[in-house]
Amino acid sequence: MSNESQDSGEHDEHSVLANAFSDAEDFVTFVIADQLFGIPVLKVQDVLSAYNITRIPLAPPEIAGSLNLRGRIVTAMDVRLRLGLPPKEGRDSMSIVAEHDGELYSLMVDSVGEVLALKSGDYERNPPTLDPKFRDYSVGIYRLDAKLLVVLDVNRLLDYSREQAA
Amino acid sequence: MDDLLSEFLTETNESLAELDVELVQLEQNPNDQELLGNIFRLMHTIKGTCGFLGLPRLESVAHAGENVLGKVRDGEMEVTPESVTVILESIDQIRLLLEQLEATEAEPEGDDSDLIARLNAFADGGSAPAAPAAEAAAEEAADEGGSGNPEIDALEAAFANAKGPAELAAEAAAKEAEAKPDEPVAEEAVEAESAAAEPVDDEPAAEVEVAPAPAEPKAAAAPAPAKPKASPKASADAKAGEPKKEGSVANQSLRVNVDVLENLMTMVSELVLTRNQLLQILRSQSESEFAAPLQRLNHVVSELQEGVMATRMQPIGNAWAKLPRIIRDLAHELDKKIDLVMKGAETELDRQVLELIKDPLTHMVRNSADHGLEIPADRLAAGKPETGSVILNAYHEGGHIIIEIADDGKGLSSEKIKEKCIDNGLASEADLEAMTEQQIQQFIFKAGFSTAAAVTSVSGRGVGMDVVRTNIEKIGGTIELTSVEGRGTKFVIKIPLTLAIVSALIVECANERFAIPQLSVVELVRASAHTEHTIERINGTPVLRLRNRLLPLVNLRDLLKLEPVVEAAPVIESTVAQTAASEETSAEAAAPEAAEAEQEAVEAAVTEASAVDKADEEEFFIVVAQIGTYSMGIIVDRVFDTEEIVVKPVAPILRDIHLFSGNTILGDGSVVMILDPNGIAATTGEIAVAEGNEDGVKDHASIGAGDSVAMLVFHAVDDTPKSVPLALVARLEEIDLSRVESSNGQYVVQYRGQLMPLVLMEEGEKLAEEGRQPVLVFSDRNRTMGLVVKEIVDIVEDRMNIELSTDRPGYIGTAVIGEKATDVVDASYYLTQAFHDWFAAERNSTVDDATSRRLLLVDDSPFFRNMLQPLLSASGYEVICVDSADAAMELCEAGEAFDVIISDIEMPGMNGFEFAKKVTTDSRWSDTPIVALSSFSNPADLQRGRDAGFTDYVAKTDRDALLNTLHETLSDLRGAA
Repeated sequence: MSNESQDSGEHDEHSVLANAFSDAEDFVTFVIADQLFGIPVLKVQDVLSAYNITRIPLAPPEIAGSLNLRGRIVTAMDVRLRLGLPPKEGRDSMSIVAEHDGELYSLMVDSVGEVLALKSGDYERNPPTLDPKFRDYSVGIYRLDAKLLVVLDVNRLLDYSREQAA
Repeated sequence: MDDLLSEFLTETNESLAELDVELVQLEQNPNDQELLGNIFRLMHTIKGTCGFLGLPRLESVAHAGENVLGKVRDGEMEVTPESVTVILESIDQIRLLLEQLEATEAEPEGDDSDLIARLNAFADGGSAPAAPAAEAAAEEAADEGGSGNPEIDALEAAFANAKGPAELAAEAAAKEAEAKPDEPVAEEAVEAESAAAEPVDDEPAAEVEVAPAPAEPKAAAAPAPAKPKASPKASADAKAGEPKKEGSVANQSLRVNVDVLENLMTMVSELVLTRNQLLQILRSQSESEFAAPLQRLNHVVSELQEGVMATRMQPIGNAWAKLPRIIRDLAHELDKKIDLVMKGAETELDRQVLELIKDPLTHMVRNSADHGLEIPADRLAAGKPETGSVILNAYHEGGHIIIEIADDGKGLSSEKIKEKCIDNGLASEADLEAMTEQQIQQFIFKAGFSTAAAVTSVSGRGVGMDVVRTNIEKIGGTIELTSVEGRGTKFVIKIPLTLAIVSALIVECANERFAIPQLSVVELVRASAHTEHTIERINGTPVLRLRNRLLPLVNLRDLLKLEPVVEAAPVIESTVAQTAASEETSAEAAAPEAAEAEQEAVEAAVTEASAVDKADEEEFFIVVAQIGTYSMGIIVDRVFDTEEIVVKPVAPILRDIHLFSGNTILGDGSVVMILDPNGIAATTGEIAVAEGNEDGVKDHASIGAGDSVAMLVFHAVDDTPKSVPLALVARLEEIDLSRVESSNGQYVVQYRGQLMPLVLMEEGEKLAEEGRQPVLVFSDRNRTMGLVVKEIVDIVEDRMNIELSTDRPGYIGTAVIGEKATDVVDASYYLTQAFHDWFAAERNSTVDDATSRRLLLVDDSPFFRNMLQPLLSASGYEVICVDSADAAMELCEAGEAFDVIISDIEMPGMNGFEFAKKVTTDSRWSDTPIVALSSFSNPADLQRGRDAGFTDYVAKTDRDALLNTLHETLSDLRGAA
């Protein structure tokens, strides 16, 4: 909102990307390790507080286990670990349930915040200096008044086949 | 009613209904080519099916209708209301015929030549400038019939008017004879008919015109009272109308989209889960007013579940429907005469399962016909009937469906399979030499193997039996194969009835619960220090003695890498702790201190010090699972009850963890993972193929040298690995050296109330005075012997192929076991050392390199079988072992051939003398020499043996004499030949 004057070359590319998000989009925001993140609200099916999770042996470390959400089996992923952050102390976390390829996943985050409508004008691409893991799962940054919000790409976050192929 | 027929009726009625609608649409949009095409196709299909089912009358009507449609489609005729009318007429006629067909299950007698003539005329005349009115058709028909009788027009009109309402009337009238509003119409129609029928009577062409038109009114009118005018035909037609009361077949079944059914199934699954949940809650409450209604709910849900399952059930015949055609084509193409027999086609199984086995089945039947059956000339030459048969048989057995595919063809040729294996690099020649026929046959299930020597257009499509096996195993099924060369091949497929809901055993390990499908669970064993079952360890590898067999065990905790919980790791009770003093103080009764001592002394794996304190209380459970022919035990902490679970696939992220086949929600709402026994077996390095034969004690188990054998690997004096077949070893003991005594220059120890000689691997070695010494105990009948070893390393399941023979006393040779060159110890040599009276001490090697002869060993003592087999294999014989004369005779029946037979005398059932007599007098083996093997040999016995037909007689324990005898017998044979 502040920095209106933009580099023009940057601007073209930016608008192309921004169009994908339409003019203003609603994002569910959440915090992991004091960083604000957001995912498009339409992706979100549910928000859960602490849930009884069954561990899955031999699964990748970031897969916390599976849980029963109204009769559907949901795979829980610790987004912290997925992003390469250290595990959180204490177990009180919240989860955002999202669907990917017909399967439900519960993304464990530190806390879930409010839903924000973000204007495309505040959108910016990932700075190239971002941590590779972040760069991989983030589709861009929104400049909020006080903070920066990282938009997570749920599909990439949950797509393991891409990694296996690599 | 015939399934085919009722299906035809359902389908054709549907098509007709569709035609009705579409024709009307066509009338409104005459230029809709797509619509026209569809109409033509539908009509064509009806014609085709009628022809296929042998319904000529229907076929001809449909054909005539199709003709007209064809003209319209080709643009030779325009879509006019008249053309539509005449086509609709043919459709009505078809429908009428169908009704009668349904009632009587036969095509009604009668003649439609009038309608057909009119249709044809229409088709021909359509190109001529057509008269626009409805009368045109009638006129043309009339012209053809040579009569312009006005009644026909009247009838035509009456028909046209009556048709619609009359149909309604038919149903209404059937229910209620006084369906007043319709009656006049019907009456009118009938009257019109009779009026028309009479004058036209002598004009055949026109008469037929009558047949289609009034038929419906008649049916409607017949049940109505006071219709004396009704022609005799009407009563016949009335019969056709009758079944309508009960609803026609077409109305009794309805087509439902599979998705709807799947959805229903999912909902029922959820309902089952919810019910389980409720029942679980109920169980925890002693008294509840919900008990009765819940019980009722329980029943209703169970029935609902069954009901929905039933909707998914389909006769297996559906999967077979294509086979007769395939076989016919094959027979034609390959110039074979093939008879396909299908039994139990009505056996039902789950749709999903059916879909999955459809292709494998087709493939296998095709294989049987293509590769299995010979061409007629070969069959005749082999003394078989010219026509070969492929027999399919399906039936229910337990919760399974069994499908057999058998042919009476040439069977699998071991020789060809061997060649293939070598060509494709699946096995080496040496490996194959040592294998039994059965094992060789199993190769057809291996990837990269195709039995077709020449790839024909029917086989060699890249789908091999390995794919078939994989597909069948994927749905929890098994496939077995029996084949006798020259007699035929038979596959037996066993698959579960349904996949959606399975019964599972819930177990706990490290505070996590898991489900194991009940189907693969054979039994549960509780193991603790105080029961007869104790888990023993061989270098940390747990094993369990279960009914005289060693069962390999896997610990679920280790397998799943679950961190141990605070309680304690499982404690290992080992008989190694036994001291020589007495059997009373054997492992079962081992005091905690002894256990502690043992733990320190023996293996590192056991040194979970924390566990020791609670050794006495510790108990855990072993789930004995069977995968194909391989059984293993899975160690778990606790076993709960069994529960009906709905298998849900795991998230894609977890698909590559092969230990899980799915996950499910339990009654209490928690999610558990479903263990896949196949996957567990695979991770333990055992592929679930019916080839290993670790089951030495089973009935007439034949053991070839190429079987994978459990070998006990140990170190004797140095670190070169030595091994001995595990089956030979009775026990692994650890003796207290202070108890070792010396007698007559030999070490002995008191063991289970007997003196057990201790033999050292290295001559002249001295035992230490103190400490503990691991010992392998060999035991046969009431003799035991201890072989002193340095340490026990491992148990390895491997093929025992002696690759290097040796002259070193005490060794059979060297084999690659567990990827290491390992000396295979000749247990018999050390038995000689222990009991001089057992064996002749002199040893001269009689290894005849040139001999690679098939040898049958018949002996009821597993000890001797296990001892002699490696010995004989090492001398170059291909050895097949059986445990009784009866089993030997079965092999004889089965067409096996041997160069020499070695038989024990004292055996349960048929003894050696009887066996020899039987073999030499009336069997295929009458020319095969038989050598008697006996523990006692006095002259009388010798004579008796010769009388019975034995070629020679050898004392059981005289290894060299045996080899010499075999050598001589065979060279005699060669000399004679």
